[in-house]
Amino acid sequence: MLNFVVRRLLAMLPVLLAVSLLTFLIASLLPGDLALVILGDQATPENVAALRRDMGLDQPLWWRYLSWLGHVLQGDLGRSYRTGQTVLQAVAERIPVSLQLMLMAEFIGLLIGVPVAIACAARAGDAFDRFMTGSAFAMLSMPSFLVAILLIYLFAVELHWLPATGYVPFTEEPLGNLRFFVLPALTLALAEWPGIMRVLRSDMIATLQEDYIALAKAKGLKPARILFVHALKPSSLTLVTVTGINIGRLLGGTLIVESIFALPGIGRLLVGAIYTRDLVILQGVVLLVASGFVIVNFIVDMLYAVLDPRIRHGHA
Amino acid sequence: MTKIAAAARKHAPIFLAAVFAVLPLAEPAQAQKSGGSITVGQELEIAGFDPLKVGVYDTSTFTAAAAIFDTLTTLDEKGEAAPKLAVSWTHSDDYMSWTFKLREGVKFHDGTPFNAQAFKENFDRQKDPANKCRCAFYITNVKEVLAPDEYTLVYKLTDPSVNLPAVITIQSQNNAIHSPTAWKTKGDDYNRNPVGTGPYVLKSWTAGDRMVLEKNPSYWDKGRPYLDRIILKPLPDAQSRFASLQSGEADIIWDDENDADNIMKAQKDSKLTVHTYKGSGAQVYAFNTKVAPFDDVRVRQALVMAIDRPKMSQAITNGLSRPASNPYGDGSWVKCKDDGALPFDVEKAKALIKEYGKPVEFKMLVTATPRGRMVGQVLQQFWKRVGANMEIEQVDQATIPSRAFTRQFQMTPWRIVDLADPDPQMYANFRSGSPLALAGFSNPELDRLLDHARVTADIGQRTEDYCAISRLINKEAIWFWTFQNTYYALSSAKLKGFPKMYNGVIDVSRTWLE
Amino acid sequence: MATLELSIRDEATPTPVRRKRKLGLLFWIASGWLAIILALAILAPVLPLQNPVDMDMLERRAAFSSEHWLGTDGLGRDELARLIFGARTSLTVGLIAPMIGLTLGGALGLLAGYFRGRFETLVVGSMDVLLAFPPLIFALAVTAYLGQSVPNLTLILGVLGIPAFMRVARAATLTLARREFVIAAEALGASHARILLRELLPNVVLPLLAFFLLGVAVTIVVEGALSFLGLGVPPPMASWGSMIGEGRDSLDVAPRLAFLPAAGLFVTVLAFNLVGDTLRALTDPRQGAL
Repeated sequence: MLNFVVRRLLAMLPVLLAVSLLTFLIASLLPGDLALVILGDQATPENVAALRRDMGLDQPLWWRYLSWLGHVLQGDLGRSYRTGQTVLQAVAERIPVSLQLMLMAEFIGLLIGVPVAIACAARAGDAFDRFMTGSAFAMLSMPSFLVAILLIYLFAVELHWLPATGYVPFTEEPLGNLRFFVLPALTLALAEWPGIMRVLRSDMIATLQEDYIALAKAKGLKPARILFVHALKPSSLTLVTVTGINIGRLLGGTLIVESIFALPGIGRLLVGAIYTRDLVILQGVVLLVASGFVIVNFIVDMLYAVLDPRIRHGHA
Repeated sequence: MTKIAAAARKHAPIFLAAVFAVLPLAEPAQAQKSGGSITVGQELEIAGFDPLKVGVYDTSTFTAAAAIFDTLTTLDEKGEAAPKLAVSWTHSDDYMSWTFKLREGVKFHDGTPFNAQAFKENFDRQKDPANKCRCAFYITNVKEVLAPDEYTLVYKLTDPSVNLPAVITIQSQNNAIHSPTAWKTKGDDYNRNPVGTGPYVLKSWTAGDRMVLEKNPSYWDKGRPYLDRIILKPLPDAQSRFASLQSGEADIIWDDENDADNIMKAQKDSKLTVHTYKGSGAQVYAFNTKVAPFDDVRVRQALVMAIDRPKMSQAITNGLSRPASNPYGDGSWVKCKDDGALPFDVEKAKALIKEYGKPVEFKMLVTATPRGRMVGQVLQQFWKRVGANMEIEQVDQATIPSRAFTRQFQMTPWRIVDLADPDPQMYANFRSGSPLALAGFSNPELDRLLDHARVTADIGQRTEDYCAISRLINKEAIWFWTFQNTYYALSSAKLKGFPKMYNGVIDVSRTWLE
Repeated sequence: MATLELSIRDEATPTPVRRKRKLGLLFWIASGWLAIILALAILAPVLPLQNPVDMDMLERRAAFSSEHWLGTDGLGRDELARLIFGARTSLTVGLIAPMIGLTLGGALGLLAGYFRGRFETLVVGSMDVLLAFPPLIFALAVTAYLGQSVPNLTLILGVLGIPAFMRVARAATLTLARREFVIAAEALGASHARILLRELLPNVVLPLLAFFLLGVAVTIVVEGALSFLGLGVPPPMASWGSMIGEGRDSLDVAPRLAFLPAAGLFVTVLAFNLVGDTLRALTDPRQGAL
């Protein structure tokens, strides 16, 4: 097991290094000379030259990358030229929001997806199953920017059940915090549950074909017990993977949902950084988010290995 | 006092952006109530307050700055300069020097006393070339600021300014007065921990979410402010911003005429109040006259003549937008009998394009926003009808200034904002050699008029200069104007005492709840 | 782009229950709809439609009439023409982008699954890099650099789809490579190229194609999200996604402007799914776990 963990950890290193390179290159691709953006109307040729020198922009690209990487390895991700915040400060302020949004969206997604999947798997192929699988897929085709505003009109403007926009930290007002998160999490979950449902459904259908299920049936166990205990358990592996992938993906922020519901998450931070050419923030945050994704993937792998010992010993 | 000065004084009221409020604004006679808290829904996230860091304040920052900071002077309901931290002012005969007497006993939130020295330190910090502040651009006309004694402040100007006290009223990066102790001790962190003398103190600020401002208990203007707390929130999406007002999460929201459906809905809603302010200035566009096809005046004229502004207003804002025929607008004191606007004339435009002989194809910069795309598509359509092919190039907001300053564009959108005097912007936008003279056009007559207008005190004479400038620009069609500036805020009907939105600023620091 | 991820494991669906099923009425309705939409999209320029970008600025959001069958949009453009031309754009992007993913991702996955070893590690690693990078930031930055156009947009969406196709192809190859017919071919001394092209490719193509149909649906939706953010097709061109985004601003004045393209998208995605599912059930590739 230890050997496996070490091997997987080592494999992460080149991926992280490549991520840092890609991050840096993409940030440098952005048009608009940073010195010009910062100086604006003050952009006399001398000022531009001086600022470029100060910021090291006159150095070759590879040198800038190495020096950035050097700083990053020492834990110094830099400071925004606009706000004066460090990358870590900026991320620390935003990540709780993105994390909570992601967890709640996953939770609601599972809450809808798992029961539907079980119900469909139990009678695979009949009208209910076909209707649900079809509509689950069609749910994917509803753009979140439309769903979000419809939910706001219904639950906030018409019914006054939930707030339209805003956020309070959980530590300040736990209940209020949850109320603010319901609609955005639901918007995301409506796009998440079809995936969860379809994956789990096919997995369970496969499981239900297995001999031991037939045996359980023969032993006269209740259908509900068979479904929930004997069939759902082996499929937990699949759920872990899907959830892991979703979590990693949502880490990068969900710009559209964050903007519409005015949640101060990572997505808005990143896009704001692009629009204002705040490259220090952009590079730093993307690197952290991408590393987060790689680490979540690693954890999922570990969980997998714990749940299914075959994997530890190399596949096939 | 000279004759010029006397003339200026006589005309002082019209000097200041004349304003017309559509809706009756709260009269000071109404009973103000203390207490309560409001939430303001803004369009943008505030980056910070240190001029050295952020360079220029945007409209959302203005709202916060109006609560946290004070300026020397302010504009009253009539649009005239009124005392704030300065209690009185005088000027030299040539308008090259202005002396302000400062209010005594005012303290910054951190206890630092406010005095002439503190103001001078603010100014010097922005002006210092070593700081390379973008904000320095807007004070190039001020040579220096002197502090002869603790409560006397002297502005020494490079050019005469007959209207200085009204020009420095906006809560901008240059006029907001910061505590020198605070920026010195806080360094990089000062940007997000601003300290002023204003009616509200920054209590907490979560990036991207909310800024909480609490009443300043020792505010110099006794009895004010009224509200205990102001919460500022960025609500970037226009639809959900309006929904937040409807559902009560926000008490007042920023809006613009492109959101016409919601504005009209709010007008019909008795629980909501629509605040509008018709400012001076306009939404404008610059041709780069150094590159084809805009190096030919016929092409430029043709494109301007192809625009049917009333129809365009219908298409993009349900007719709320007010067509502009000059850069000053109805909100300005510059009133022209003849501003030389080119008429809407499709046939003439077609003929001009034909005369030019070559195909007219070009790219126009457009901001990557719903509003930018809409305007871009409508203009594209007008020009297509006269035989010109425009391609929309969507770029993000940050790219436009740098593209403009480096002249990497054929046509770019720009804005002339609502200021009390046309000089700062007209001079910057049209005087040859100015970094902002985007058209790259130079004309000795235009330069002469601009130079003359800024040093003349006589209002009649200045109006004539500015009208001549408008005629010249319209004839040469180096820039064109589509719509005048109209600023909008939508609020709950309970919010009272909301002042006019000079420069489009939502200033809630003097409001109260009924 | 991200939703592609979700659907990968879907392909593992062994649907034995459905295998005996006939094609059924729904399948034919779905195919019929797709055929009509495709035909309209392809023939749009020659159909007797109004110009989709010509505005009648005083006839904004006009109701259904004999002149404008489906009314006009927020700028007075014919809604029917825009819907059909929008289908053209959405389907162009929606079909070509997954093809890029299918070709490149499929080839990489096939090679990685067959040759294994260092090459596989390299491919899987680089796909992880691509997956780890926030897709929206990738799209924003690359659009800002390359400029906004349909080919660029297609390219970006195509690249973002590569990892998913790679995973499908690799997983399928991994299982197939252990099957008798491959081992037999190897024993008979067939060349790598022969085994890859003759033995593996035909079998890997099936799950890839089924996944491709999902990719089409997801790409059309993602294009809409990008349009909403101003990164989609350049105006005045219409796409279903950009039409929903524009219509969203007048939901209570003229809800049809958002709901007509949304319905088009909904039904088309549903149809692609139905056809995809039925075809998959017919061919039943029965892959192992991914």
